[in-house]
Amino acid sequence: MAVTPGTETPPPPYLGRSVRIVGPVANVDMNQTPHPRNSRGELGKALFNWYRNTISRDPLTRVSAPNHFADQRNFLASVVNQAPKGKINSRQIPVSDPAAMTRHIKAAAHHMGADVVTVARAHPSFLYAAAAPPKDSAARDVYQNRSGDVYQGRTPEQMVQRYPYIIVATTAWDYDKLQAHRHYIGDAAYHVSQMKAQMILKALEGYIKELGYAALRGVSNPQAAGLASGVGELGRNGLLIHRKFGARIHMPDPIMTDLPLVPDQPVDNGVEDFCKVCRKCAINCPTNSVPFGDKVVFNGVEKYKINWLTCYKVRPYMDAHWGSCLTCATVCPFTKPNVWWRSLTVWALSTCPIPARPVLVRALKAIDDRFWGATRQTRVRWLGYDSGIKPGEQACTVAGCTAAHGTAHAASPVGNVGYYAPLKENTNRFVKRDA
Amino acid sequence: MALRSGWLKAPWRRTARQSDDPYWSFFINTPPADRANSLLDVIRNAPEGNVFPTKADLHTPEVTASHVKEMARYLGADLVGIAKLDPDDAGHPFAIVCGVRADHDPRQAPGIGGQVPAQNGLFVTFVLSAWIRELGYRASLAASLDAARLAAAAKLGTLDRAGKLVTAEFGARVHFADVILTDLPLAAA
Repeated sequence: MAVTPGTETPPPPYLGRSVRIVGPVANVDMNQTPHPRNSRGELGKALFNWYRNTISRDPLTRVSAPNHFADQRNFLASVVNQAPKGKINSRQIPVSDPAAMTRHIKAAAHHMGADVVTVARAHPSFLYAAAAPPKDSAARDVYQNRSGDVYQGRTPEQMVQRYPYIIVATTAWDYDKLQAHRHYIGDAAYHVSQMKAQMILKALEGYIKELGYAALRGVSNPQAAGLASGVGELGRNGLLIHRKFGARIHMPDPIMTDLPLVPDQPVDNGVEDFCKVCRKCAINCPTNSVPFGDKVVFNGVEKYKINWLTCYKVRPYMDAHWGSCLTCATVCPFTKPNVWWRSLTVWALSTCPIPARPVLVRALKAIDDRFWGATRQTRVRWLGYDSGIKPGEQACTVAGCTAAHGTAHAASPVGNVGYYAPLKENTNRFVKRDA
Repeated sequence: MALRSGWLKAPWRRTARQSDDPYWSFFINTPPADRANSLLDVIRNAPEGNVFPTKADLHTPEVTASHVKEMARYLGADLVGIAKLDPDDAGHPFAIVCGVRADHDPRQAPGIGGQVPAQNGLFVTFVLSAWIRELGYRASLAASLDAARLAAAAKLGTLDRAGKLVTAEFGARVHFADVILTDLPLAAA
């Protein structure tokens, strides 16, 4: 039987050892993803009000976190993402050597400040479903990078033939500030680097158009493209785990393009073997949303699947203390300062023969528990913030300060322990641990 | 075969790689055909946000100044200085000057790559001034003021004969973003 060109489905892509495609994958409809559903009020009043009607009490969160600003004009990401799209340059730069162009795009993105740049070969299953969010939809503030007519009636297969590459460029957030997870300090590290990543991607999108090629945003699932291009492997916590940065990398909306490039391959960091043993994120998750059990098949993909609803539901309750939890990213043994001993360890793990890895992983896990603790409780001080102050207390946070503050700032925290609300035992009401 | 020296980086390698890149001079030097493909105008012309109605609880001016500097460094500024302004500048007693390291002077390199220091500078000044407004104090960007002169007043370096600032850290290879004028109680350098 003859097949119409552009309608046959290519074989399932290899996404590394951590994720396997076992069945047909339905393209994800971005209107059914968590934030748009919450925007439409489908997840209940508490979450809706937290998402749409809450102004953060922290000044830094008000300028860096989506949807918690007092005035949207003070939030750079909305300025960047709502900027008008430029036109594709009619004088196309010829690309004789795709490898040289790939090196150039990576160097250009690094020059703009990206920490990780990779190129994935596009696959129809990576794409979001063709239905664009309606113009007045609540989903527009999440997927505002997408222009409405981007598919122009093409199927995902035809889109992939027309635009065969996906550029994943992203930033990592600060290790030391992340140690204050479940705290405004960790929020700041997360949200500021996220804004930076969005600015870099927008500038890179404009640059590819200046080269004379198409650059489409809001069409590709970032995690799938990240897996296919070797940003990292998918961990138990549902995050991509990078060789150098661990779980502390953003996965913002990548760029789909017809610029001739050389795609990267999936990597083997040993995450697959580590996650089978470790379970640190599952133990530390304040809502027990990270699975203790094995991988499951969801939408034709075999992977560890977190319970996003319970992960999401804790947020309105914790609004007074923090915005983004980040605990699973913080406690991950791969999330370490990017120094020689971690490079050595990851190198040892990823060059170890696979059958021998469980033994090595158990040893590394024991070392990690011994030196870094089962739960990170580091006290972090930054600007006027101090995670050593218990929630509800007020204290001056300047070291060695002798100024008179009155009774409002009477407490003087000592020691090296950070207090991160909520504590594990307070949140069992969200979901009971399953193992 | 290139020597993989790991953390021992040879300082000349970077420029060597950029000269091998056939597209690098286009990236640095060719101005965008469509201005909308550059982010600079969008961020520069964005309207200023409101000042938060409640003033935040601040420490002494010296400590607040150190917080502002630390924040600017975290946002990506390589040099930060605070200069005291003359009282005739419409109620803004202080100017915050942020400099970013620039391999190419953005005034002479109009390409998207050449404008990267300007873009990074705008990122710092936009978020920093928005943060000061959210602290409850006024902060606005003043493109009309001479950033190099104020940076010299903030003791970041010295002016040369052409009126360009020369710093101890980066020489003249530094780009100064638009000056932030603010009434946040600070201590000038």
